[in-house]
This record gives sequence, structure tokens and C-alpha cells, in this order.
Amino acid sequence: MKERLNSTLQAQPLPASGRIGSGVWYVETLADRDITVDAGGDVRMLIVDGDAAAEINIDVESGAKLSILHVVNHKSAATVNIAIAEVSECRMTQVVCSSSDTRVVASLVGRDARFELGGVFVLTDDNQTSVTADVNHISPDCRSRIMVKGVASGKSHGRFSGLVYVAPDAQRTDSEQTNRNVTIGEGHIETLPQLEIYADDVKCSHGATVGQMDSEAILYMRQRGLSLADAKRLQIEGFVDDIVLHSAVEGVQDILTEMLAEKLSKL
Amino acid sequence: MEKDTQKDILQELETSEYKYGFVTDIETETIGRGLSEDIVRLISEKKGEPEWMLERRLQAYRHWLTLEHPQWAHLDIPEIDFQDVIYYAAPKQKKQLNSLDEVDPELKRTFDKLGIPLEEQMALAGVAVDAVMDSVSVKTTFRDTLAEKGIIFCSISEAIKEHPELIKKYLGSVVPYTDNFYAALNAAVFSDGSFCYIPKGVRCPMELSTYFRINAEGTGQFERTLIVADEGSYVSYLEGCTAPRRDENQLHAAVVEIVVEKDADVKYSTVQNWYPGDKDGKGGIYNFVTKRGICRQGAHLSWTQVETGSAITWKYPSCVLQGDNSSGEFYSVAMTNNYQQADTGTKMIHIGKNTRSRIVSKGISAGRSQNAYRGLVRVAKGADNARNYSQCDSLLIGDKCGAHTFPVIDSYNPSAVLEHEATTSKISEDQLFYCNQRGLSTEDAVGLIVNGYAREVLAKLPMEFAVEAQKLLAISLEGSVG
Amino acid sequence: MLKVENLHASVGDKEILKGINLTVKAGEVHAIMGPNGSGKSTLASVLAGNEKFTVTAGSVEFEGEDLLQYNIEERSRKGLFLGFQYPVEIPGVTMANFMKIAVNEQRKARGLEPLTAAEYLRMMKEKSAIVELDSKLTSRAVNEGFSGGEKKKNEIFQMAMLDPKLAILDETDSGLDIDALRIVATGVTRLKREDNATVVITHYQRLLDYIVPDYVHVLYKGRIIYTGDKTLALKLEKEGYDWLINDYKEE
Repeated sequence: MKERLNSTLQAQPLPASGRIGSGVWYVETLADRDITVDAGGDVRMLIVDGDAAAEINIDVESGAKLSILHVVNHKSAATVNIAIAEVSECRMTQVVCSSSDTRVVASLVGRDARFELGGVFVLTDDNQTSVTADVNHISPDCRSRIMVKGVASGKSHGRFSGLVYVAPDAQRTDSEQTNRNVTIGEGHIETLPQLEIYADDVKCSHGATVGQMDSEAILYMRQRGLSLADAKRLQIEGFVDDIVLHSAVEGVQDILTEMLAEKLSKL
Repeated sequence: MEKDTQKDILQELETSEYKYGFVTDIETETIGRGLSEDIVRLISEKKGEPEWMLERRLQAYRHWLTLEHPQWAHLDIPEIDFQDVIYYAAPKQKKQLNSLDEVDPELKRTFDKLGIPLEEQMALAGVAVDAVMDSVSVKTTFRDTLAEKGIIFCSISEAIKEHPELIKKYLGSVVPYTDNFYAALNAAVFSDGSFCYIPKGVRCPMELSTYFRINAEGTGQFERTLIVADEGSYVSYLEGCTAPRRDENQLHAAVVEIVVEKDADVKYSTVQNWYPGDKDGKGGIYNFVTKRGICRQGAHLSWTQVETGSAITWKYPSCVLQGDNSSGEFYSVAMTNNYQQADTGTKMIHIGKNTRSRIVSKGISAGRSQNAYRGLVRVAKGADNARNYSQCDSLLIGDKCGAHTFPVIDSYNPSAVLEHEATTSKISEDQLFYCNQRGLSTEDAVGLIVNGYAREVLAKLPMEFAVEAQKLLAISLEGSVG
Repeated sequence: MLKVENLHASVGDKEILKGINLTVKAGEVHAIMGPNGSGKSTLASVLAGNEKFTVTAGSVEFEGEDLLQYNIEERSRKGLFLGFQYPVEIPGVTMANFMKIAVNEQRKARGLEPLTAAEYLRMMKEKSAIVELDSKLTSRAVNEGFSGGEKKKNEIFQMAMLDPKLAILDETDSGLDIDALRIVATGVTRLKREDNATVVITHYQRLLDYIVPDYVHVLYKGRIIYTGDKTLALKLEKEGYDWLINDYKEE
């Protein structure tokens, strides 16, 4: 998986610390990092977990653009702390297919900074997975979008926790946080979407759902001749696909879709 | 010699007074502050309770000693010295006033704004009500009507003596003393409260509020309420009132337990307007409340609350949906202004099959206040086809306050469908300008907008209180805008 | 082709179909009309195999086989198509992907090889033209964000793709403006052949201006109480159902 992604994108290994300008980088072994993306830079970054725990700190300087693809296919605990300066932008896609404890903390420290996270976790068997996505709106006029989708099947346990914090002076914050989950079999979902707001001129919303597959839709597909299994698979694929299709790092959608399909076949 | 005699006589008088009847009073004073097993025994003794009740209190007290003050709420609670609290005081006789003219004009102004009927104003302010209306006969009429239906409605102290079988069966069955710090404290030292029993198949013919309001005496700081709605019965119960309530006691820790038996329906409405402290955050009530109801098969429990008072509010009226096809609702408006803090919400615990719950929470923060919604929706393994819908909105007025939302959704059953939504909004300059342009004062405009925002919850209150609650919201916001 | 005898069906404890008899031969068009709540949609659902309903008595023969022994997708693969009154939205599932699986299942049941990507695309293009369905819609999620008219056109498009032996169209005309109605009806007519049949469930006579039925049945309280030719529909349009229902009540 890691090699395929890296070679497809022709990524170069990320140093343990230091400044990077532009290009495609990958985290060779999951270990602590301290990285700064230069002002005005355009960086794409691949983080593919190994069996490890690590903290990756990234400063995105003003006017820079950072796109991260975080693939979790092993038991791991990765924390990614991102500080986003004025008029810079970070987009992140997270695809989780295994027991793990991932944590993303994005701090919008400069005006007009943007953060966007699209995440999906698909759990089977006895997977135990926790996905945390916290956003700190420190400066005014920033925007954040969090969309995390979860599927818990078998005897798995999926947990989403997301805090949107809006500091006292972070006026005109525009934030949306959404968490949608589907449970199958004995899957267990726990979700904690949280808002902590200290400014009044803000647009903040969050929504969380836990549900099952849409039985009407399954009936409809079966009437057109699809088997029950196909109808279910198609629906779950449809549920998670858009996260991959809008991947922050382009050019690897096929690899991700394949990885998800393999996981979904175990549902 | 003469002097000595005088002195001796005085001394004798003092001692004899002490000896002949002031013992109790003096002792009451000396119980004063602090909590110990002896105090718990004394409380039970003063209330003339049976031995088994004392045992229960002691058990709760011993458990409380092992507990630590909870820290998880989004509240900044000054350290409370539980040994500096007075746990028992004989009910104080209110000073009887002869007419409404003697009532504190500030209080009178609020009554008028709330539109409370004159007779009730007098009753609430402590005017001798008998002068204007025959309250005794009104009460008797109520009592007769209730007794005819077999409904028991009395103080909890009375119930302990008169209906020990019901108290033994139900008290502590929904909120055991082991539940939390304040539930344990309440179980040990509760002063008084209400007991209500609706027999099988009986529909309580009146809002118990009407009776309650006229009967509203100081219920004390550790209030205990138990409502039992037997199979197929219905009752609507209103706690508190819109009139501002001042109390010497800063710490309040009430417990409300509701047992909703098969196919019964209980509607519990609260309007809480305890003293919130002054504009600088000095004083005000600390209100730590545990409220919970258990719903058996096909039962329905609806909580509606309008929380505008108290310096600190810590309150989560909850539903345990134990029986199949049972349902619970929580409708809340919590408003904080100045330096008030509120951490309030609900728990919906789905255990039975086909259980339904609905949560509508409307937070309003103004001034420098902090207002948090905290909720839990849990679906147990066996709770097939559970449904929950939660809507938690926050309205911010001014840029110095905080509005927070902390929901937890926890589903162990794949057939559950659970939805949570939250939004945050403010009263915009544009809205105010628009209203001003149409001739409304800013204060009226804010009142209007806030009431529109809270409408869905206010509509759930019994008619007469909905109107008062609307006015209450506007009054509580005075001075928060412009 | 289809032979329904004394069909009874219920949902929960409530019996909705109370003895339906209906025979449809290849090449025929049948219309089923009747007031609200008479059981028209239930009949369609029961024939399609919706598990919400329980068949309590009677039999259904389709192409010489007992239809009731099959589940919903097996019935579909045997050539029974149900056009839904309210086509459901399936977020994230593209029309193209969905239909590809459906068409290939249909082909597999008929002993045919799956289509190649090129063949499939050609087929999509050709069939979507029949109902003037915007080809962009086929790249979108199933019915998601479709207008009422587009959803109904999409049903007829799928019917064209799957080429059923028997199509049951449940209130296909509801919610359509006159142009969409004409397009949908023309589509249905163009798909008509000597070896297939159509059952049209409708409220209004207007659809039958375009799809001319051989028989018109009136369903009332779970039974077919009257059968006539296309003139019956006109009479119902003018005079309503009362004369029939009154007769029935007297019976």
C-alpha cells in the first residue's frame, strides 16, 4: 500500500524536522516530526501508518497550501497537529481501515485560514478505533469543514470525537462539523461532536447521526434484480466513496477505492 | 445586696428560660453549620421519621463521605465547604403583610411584568391571602377532588408517615443514593418536598401546578420529589414558578424521581428562577439537581424546563426508557446572563424495544455567562428500533459569553436511528435595526426574537405558564443589549 | 403470462387484498384504477415481493411458475419490473454503477454474458433517449436531487434497460406535468411488444390517452369489482366511482 502510493505520486521522504517548500512528501517511518511548510509553499504529504505511535507537528506558514492524505491500515496511534497561518489552507483526507487511535488537531491561528477534513473509517471484526478531529478557531474570519463517516460492523467499536473551539476574538468563524455513521451487525458507535464557543458573530453547526442502511433503498435495488449482498455493498460504497473521490491528494483515488473495497468485502 | 438580688433574679430567669422550653430553639441554633451522623439523626428525629427512614439517610450519608465533588461539568464552581452549610433549620415563619402595598416594590414590579394574578401575587409575596380570597376553601376543593380520584398529593414527610409502603417501594428506586455526589447528599439530609401518587387508570383532573403555586411555601434547600404514575394514569406537574425566588441558602441540591408505570403518561414542567446573583456575579444560588424518570412498557415522560435563575445550574432531567414502546422527551430553554453558569441537558437511555426520544434544547447566553448543553443518548444492545432526534441550538447575545454543546451518542444496536443537530446563532444588528425601524424598542425586539427562538419549547408548557415564561425570558435579559 | 387467483394479503393484522383475480396475457395492457386506499399499490408491492406484506391465501402464476416462491430480486430477474410511485433516493450510488449490476444480473439470469463497458455505455445512451432523460443524470446518484418528472423518467429508463416481460407501473403519472406525462407514456408505448405486457396503476384517465389499455379494472376495498374496456376509464373520469361502489355496496 505504502509503496504503491509513494511510487504513484513519486513522493520523497520527509525529514524528521525542518522546512519544506513544495513537492510531494511521505512519512517513511511513523515517528515524531516537526515540519514547517514555507510561506507560499504548496505541499502534498502522505502519511501511511505503521505499527507505531507518533506525533507529527506541522506549521503551515502564510499563504501556503498543504494537502495531506492519511491512510491508516495498521494498528497505530498518530497525532497530527497542524497550525495554519493567515490565508493559508490545509486539506486533509483520512482513510481508516484498522484498529487505531488517530488524532488531528488543527489550529487556525491566522486570519482567513482554512481547514478541511474528510475522513472515513470502515471497521469489521473486533476493530477498536477512535478518530479525533479537533479544530481551534483562534483567529477571526477562518473557515473549517469536518466530515467524518463511519461504518462499524462485526463486533467492532468506532468512536468519533470532535471539538470545535472558537476563541473569544475569533469573530466571523464559519465552521461545520458532520459525523455520519452506519452500524451493521453488532457494531458499536459512539460519537461526541462538541462545540465550545466564546464569540458571538459565528456560524457554527454540527450534526451527528447513527443509523442503519436504508431498507427502502435496498428494496428498490433488489426490485431491479440486485442481490441483497450487492445492494448492501453498493449502498455502503456509496456512503463512503465521496470521501475518497474528493481526496485532498489527487491521483490515488483508485488505490484508495481498492483498499476500501477489500475492507468492505469483509463486512 | 439589692444589686446582688437583682442579678440573681436575672440569672435565675435566664436559667429557668433555658430550662423550660428554649432548649430546642437554642439547640437548633447550635446545630448550625456542618454535617455529621448526629446531624442526620437529628434531622430525622425532628421530622419524626420512622427508624427505617433514618437508616436510609445514614446509609446515604456514609456513602456520601466516600465521594468526591464532581469535576466534569463545564462550570467554574467555587469550592464549597460542606461543613459550612446549615443542613436543617425549622421552617421560618414568613412576615405576614397586610396588603400588597407593603410588598417590596421591586418584587411587585416583576409580578406585574409577569402578569401574575393579583391573588397569587399576594400569596407569593406573603400577604395574608385569607383577606382576599378563601384560600382554605380553594385548597379544600382541590384536595377533595384529588381524594375522590384516589390521588395522593402531600409533602414527602407526610408520605413517609402516612404511606410508608409506597415510599419504601419507590423512594430511591430511580435515583439511588449511590447515583452521584449530590444525590447521596440529598438522600442523607433532604428537608422536604412533594409526593404524588396517581392510581391505576386515573387521569389527574388538574394541573398540579395550580394547587402547588398557592401552596408554594419555602420547600427548603434539599428538596425531594417523588411522583408515581400507576398503570395507564396521567398527570401534569409543574415545579417552581416564574416569580423570582430568593433564599438565604446558597446551596441547593434537589432530587426528583418519577416512576411512570405501564402506559402511563407524565408531563413534568419546571420554571426555575432562583436568585442568579447580582450584575457582578456576587451571590446567587448554586443549584445541583438530579432528575430522572423511569418509563415502563408503553409509558411516556415529558420534561419541559425553563431555566433562567441560579448562579450555577447543574441539571440533567433524564429518561430511562426501560419498557418496550416507551418514549421520552426533553424540551429546555436555558438562559444565562451576567456571570451565570449553566450546564444542563438530558440523558435518554434506551433499553426497551421500539423506544423513542426527542430532545430540543435552546440555550441563550448573554453578558459574561457560560451556557452548556450536555447530553447522552445511549441505545442498549436489546433496544431494537430505537429512535432519537436531538436539536440543540445556541443563541449568543454579546461577545463576552460562551455557548457550548457536549452531546454523546452511544449506540450498541444496529437498528437504531439517531440524529443530532446543533446550530449557533446570534441576534444580529440587522434584526434589531429592522425591528427598531418598525418602532420596537431594542428591549422589546430582543424579547421578541428570543421568544421566537424558544417558541418550540415554550409551547410545551401548560398554557398559563407559557405566557409568564415568555415574559420571564424578556425580563431576565434586561440590560443585556445596547 | 400472469395469473392471479384469489390473492389475499395483509400487513400486520390488517388485510388489504381480499381476493384478487387477474389474468394478463402477453401483448396486453391492463389499467387498474380505484379510489385512494383501495389496495392498488399494495397489489403492485405484493406482486413485486415486498416482504412488508404477507400473502395469506391465493396464488400467483408468472410464466407458468409459482411466483410467490421467489424473493424480490429473483422475481425481478424473471422479468417482473415495478415502476415505483415514489422512487427512493440512494445517495452516493451512481445510476451508471447501479444499472450495470442490474443489467448484468438480468443477463446472467437469461444465460447471457455480461456486457462490456462499451456495449453498456452504448445501451445507456440509446435507452436514455427513449425517455429523453438527460444523459448527465446517469452519472449522478440514483434519484438524488432528481425532480419529480426526472425520477419517473428514470423509472421508465430503467425499464428500458432491463427489458422486462411484465412491467407494473405504480402511479407513474402522479406528480407529472403534461410534457413529462407525454414523454413517459410515449416511452412506455415504444417499449411495448407482442411478447411483453404492462399493468398501469393510475388515478387519472389522462395517462390512458397515451397508453391505451385493453382492459380497465376497478379495485375497491381489496377486490376487483368491475372490469371493462378503455371506455370504462372515460366513464369513471366523468362520473366518478360512486355508481360502481353503490352497486357493490348493494351486492
